[in-house]
Amino acid sequence: MSPFKALTWLVSPLALLALWAAVADAALFPANLLVPPLEVWRSFADLLATGELQEHLAGSLSRLSLGFAAGALAGLAFGTAMALSDTVEAYCAPLFHTLRQIPSIALIPMLVLLLGIDETFKVVIVAKTAFFPVALATVEGIRAIPRSHFEVAAVYRLRWPTLVARIALPAAVPAIVTGVRVALTRAWVVLVACELLAADSGLGQMIEMGRQMLRIDVVMVGVAITGVIGFALDFSLRRVERRLSGWQVAGR
Amino acid sequence: MNAIAPSFPAHVQTGALSIRNLSKTYPLKGRPVPVLQGIDLDIRPGEFVSILGASGCGKSTLLRLIVGLDPDYQGQILLDGQPLNGPGLERGIVFQDHRLFPWMTLQQNIALALKNHDLGTAQKQRLVDEHIALVGLRGYEQAYPHQLSGGMAQRGAIARALVNKPKVLLLDEPFGALDALTRVRLQQELQRIWVQERCTVIMVTHDIEEALYLGDRVIVMEANPGRIGEQVQLELAHPRQRDTALLFQHKQRLLAQLVGH
Ligand SMILES: Nc1ncnc2c1ncn2[C@@H]1O[C@H](COP(=O)(O)OP(=O)(O)O)[C@@H](O)[C@H]1O
Ligand SMILES: [Mg+2]
Repeated sequence: MSPFKALTWLVSPLALLALWAAVADAALFPANLLVPPLEVWRSFADLLATGELQEHLAGSLSRLSLGFAAGALAGLAFGTAMALSDTVEAYCAPLFHTLRQIPSIALIPMLVLLLGIDETFKVVIVAKTAFFPVALATVEGIRAIPRSHFEVAAVYRLRWPTLVARIALPAAVPAIVTGVRVALTRAWVVLVACELLAADSGLGQMIEMGRQMLRIDVVMVGVAITGVIGFALDFSLRRVERRLSGWQVAGR
Repeated sequence: MNAIAPSFPAHVQTGALSIRNLSKTYPLKGRPVPVLQGIDLDIRPGEFVSILGASGCGKSTLLRLIVGLDPDYQGQILLDGQPLNGPGLERGIVFQDHRLFPWMTLQQNIALALKNHDLGTAQKQRLVDEHIALVGLRGYEQAYPHQLSGGMAQRGAIARALVNKPKVLLLDEPFGALDALTRVRLQQELQRIWVQERCTVIMVTHDIEEALYLGDRVIVMEANPGRIGEQVQLELAHPRQRDTALLFQHKQRLLAQLVGH
């Protein structure tokens, strides 16, 4: 049984595919609206062959990496400052906790008016989306380091570089990586949504163009790729997370 | 096999601890509450002192002051005549919870304690190995704390505290969280280790038998505010037998005194 067990995850996607094919075959919806899987696959191959898909993907992923790197780094810095300094906390905490409740999508109209619909707008909104979960996880990760860890460090007179590298970081990093993971998937979703509304390239734009030209096959390729990319990003960070917090999982 | 060690060996020269008129308050709702008051204590080099007292009487606070984790106190703490200033490698401490870092192996945990010692890598490695062997954990060098039992983790903590060869070892209810059998085993082990190392030890406990079995002197601490009560001198060489009549007598008396009234 065991070689098949590794493939159990395949059952549900195959079932979905079969359902999709069956419904398309039964012609419950017009064939140009619910495109059968095989045709979507052909469109995918076409888009790949012309290089169009790669172009859109490159556009989306470069925006994501730029905006995400900026937002996550800022979140890390701000979170660290807020965790360590009562002053920063006193001045910024209420505003921070209010702002982080505002969905990124709600900022789109305002940001479009201020920044236009060019790259800046999309990078800024991705950065904003990444900033808050990372900042929050950093604050909580650092705050959660038990005081006893620092006492042990004091007893052995560890200097601060050792304290940070060997104790504070390993203790806080698992929580921070979890925050980064959440931030990355959210940023990806928000980016594709922004591209749907306003862009001249990117996966979201490809979907929107497909819709306007009633090429539902292209729309479906875009939707599927969005899901797969999101899954891949989340999966790889999950691996990192597991490696960094192995001692925690095994300890419980 | 009854190698009798003298109670106070002449060769131990350093590790004399003098506490003079030590007081400590904690703020409670803005008002200072005395936790320790007028503690005077002289501990000879290489002496094993047990401190016995009810929970909350200030035992841990006293150890925290001696180890240097809290500079906010009145009075004086002198080690070999020198006033203490913050933590130092000549004092080691073992807490009730082992406090090994969960993301480091046993070996890495112990090596970290040597971080600020001015020794070569090979020498540090040898010290780490020696102390792992001393506490009977050979073979577990690469184990993470969650892979060790409570008793083994506490042995690891003892090895970490001893690896710097401290003059004074402070033990804060080191076996308090262990089951009765493991506790008895570790008390024996601690006695063996101490006979071998002969550093000054202050062990806080609320276990009368443990205090009597290990201590050259048992000090009873009284609460509210914490101060030194009765002191029992035990002229009995180490290693000791548990069922000695003398220890039994003291136990009955201390029990009546602590629980009686
Ligand atoms: N950081 C602190 N702030 C305020 N009160 C404290 C603090 N630490 C300990 N105390 C109080 O000091 C008293 C002695 O505590 P402790 O030394 O831990 O007692 P013991 O170790 O004998 O059980 C207790 O009443 C405790 O509530
Ligand atoms: Mg205590």
